[in-house]
Amino acid sequence: MDIQKITEVSPHLVDLENIDDCPGPYCMSFGFDLKSLVRSIKSIGLINYPLVIESRNAMLTVITGYRRILALKSLGREKIPCRIISKSQLSPLECLLLNLHDNLATRKLNEVEKGMVLSRLTRWTPKTKILEKYMQLLGLPSHDPTLHFYIRLEEEMEKEIKEYLVQGRLSLQSAKMLLDMEQDARHQIFNLISNLKFNINQQKQLIDYLNDLIHINNKSTSQLLKEGPLQAIFSGGQLNNPQKVKAVLHFLRTKRFPSVVSAERTFRKRISRLDLPEGSRIAAPPFFEAPNYRLEVIFKDGKELKEKIEHLSAERRLEDLGDPWKDPA
Amino acid sequence: MTRCKINKVLVEEGAYGHALTDRIISRLPGIPFQPLKNDEPGTGKETLHLLSYKGEFLKSCPGTREYICCGYQILNVGTNCPLDCSYCILQSYFNQPNLRVFVNLEEEIERVLEIIDGQPERIFRVGTGEFTDSLAIDPITGFSDMLIPIFSRRKNAVLELKTKTGQIERVLNSKSRDRIIVSWSLNSPYIAAHEEHRAASLKKRLEAAGQCQSEGFILGFHFDPLIPHPHWEDEYLKTLELMDKYVDPKGIIWISLGSFRFMPELKPIIRKRHPQTCVLNGEFIVGLDGKMRYFKPIRIDLYAFMRENLEKWHPNLGLYLCMESDDVWQNSLGWSPKNTLGLRRYLDNRVVEIFK
Repeated sequence: MDIQKITEVSPHLVDLENIDDCPGPYCMSFGFDLKSLVRSIKSIGLINYPLVIESRNAMLTVITGYRRILALKSLGREKIPCRIISKSQLSPLECLLLNLHDNLATRKLNEVEKGMVLSRLTRWTPKTKILEKYMQLLGLPSHDPTLHFYIRLEEEMEKEIKEYLVQGRLSLQSAKMLLDMEQDARHQIFNLISNLKFNINQQKQLIDYLNDLIHINNKSTSQLLKEGPLQAIFSGGQLNNPQKVKAVLHFLRTKRFPSVVSAERTFRKRISRLDLPEGSRIAAPPFFEAPNYRLEVIFKDGKELKEKIEHLSAERRLEDLGDPWKDPA
Repeated sequence: MTRCKINKVLVEEGAYGHALTDRIISRLPGIPFQPLKNDEPGTGKETLHLLSYKGEFLKSCPGTREYICCGYQILNVGTNCPLDCSYCILQSYFNQPNLRVFVNLEEEIERVLEIIDGQPERIFRVGTGEFTDSLAIDPITGFSDMLIPIFSRRKNAVLELKTKTGQIERVLNSKSRDRIIVSWSLNSPYIAAHEEHRAASLKKRLEAAGQCQSEGFILGFHFDPLIPHPHWEDEYLKTLELMDKYVDPKGIIWISLGSFRFMPELKPIIRKRHPQTCVLNGEFIVGLDGKMRYFKPIRIDLYAFMRENLEKWHPNLGLYLCMESDDVWQNSLGWSPKNTLGLRRYLDNRVVEIFK
């Protein structure tokens, strides 16, 4: 059948119970909200008829219109008009492409849906063609590791994590990091993220620290998370979730970067001992990597500035200030 | 294992007709070769990919202005390497892991020489070991046969062949010695055994170095990347003991020290390709150039320890730091070239001193 003539197929009334309501091999919808579609159909009826194809056991498989069918089912409809294609009229790849183009024309696919498309395409299309043509269609770089990641996202990632991702509560980078972990570790870390509601930046830090510590200490995630100080934070009734998140990250950072944290602590301690004029601040460069420290003085006029400079130059302990890993001069 | 195993040769269209292509194929009897197609599957470290390179063959080392760079020139003879070091930055540089050899080098070397000969007052320190190992596939490419005599004749250039292998046969067969530096990347025995997969053992590397030295070659060494690991001081001392056993320090032009640094994108690649590695265990911070590097006092400790013990061996080894800041130089080596120009002068002077 000429795929261009698909719109010429006349609709027939079909029993909804005869349509398979699993997404099937051609549909690529994930993490959607039916409410607005239900409202629309309720108000003005079904405008575009779903396209279905005959499959085994006299059931029909959805090619396009999967969400519309779910919406109609939720409205309690029993029969709906559909355009029906026989199995011999379209190849599986053509069905898949019909759905893909139908979706691409009307909305932006989320990351999981992109994974669904790519995973399904691999069954019928050579990898080079997917890389050259379809990655670009999906707005992705034609890059083998990217393709591999999206396929794994669809095929290996747990549904609850996918949902968190498409809701924008988990970054794609964190999803990648989680996907590279053992399933058990992934579960535990995800539970921690979702229970304490780590934000996007905090998630990345958490996964990074835990992943490193698992390797460095040769411990499992559950062994790490069972450590006394972390358990105390988790069960700390006086802390709210944001405070718990901060405390967890601080504990893990101290464990992962003992020298850095110790240097920061020493620096803060040395600064706190100084008698600095009000409105003055001494800051270290990030990670003490750049050679220079910074002094900030807030003043309202030259007279006040002069006073503050005199105050500063009278502070003898300033001479001891330097890299915190060195003994004071 | 140091012998490079090739099981397939892919030839890009532009690579046919070059004499080097024919010679490489003739050196691999029984190995299938085929034209490269776009969807060529199964490429990897055992696939030799011959191509005519369209870019510049001589490039400055991609140093960053935030740290002091040695001003090295890279002669780009190919990319990737049959060795599989867990820390290798090439893992994130290039998409394809196959061994790419630029078969038009023989035709293009003239342009490189024009650049060198056109600036007789400048010293060109040139190396082939930045994007590949200089000698790992030399038995197949024979690059040393061509490059050694060419560079040996020049008074304002040196050629450094840097390797982790013991593949020195072709180098030793050369009649030229002047202006050629054969260098080895060294590490602790632990890192060499656990992280430098497919590279020669330290003993074999240093035996090869000793052999080159006894045959009249000047040597260089590169402790890069230095990696703190359990008992690293004792481990690096073992390497220094081996150096003392096989090499005369008076014939060394320079020894560089660099600590492990990497673009953040490399981390997941290393984790995936080398799950047992220890190279990611250190305390890394984001450096001024955006690369991950060890927290400064850790780097200073590494360099200061190496300096102290290398200088006990010999006081004039041409020690220098690779991509470090002025204060790290001062605090670890006790002096600083201040900037890239200063380090260039220092190394150029080493060239003048050694190749009088």
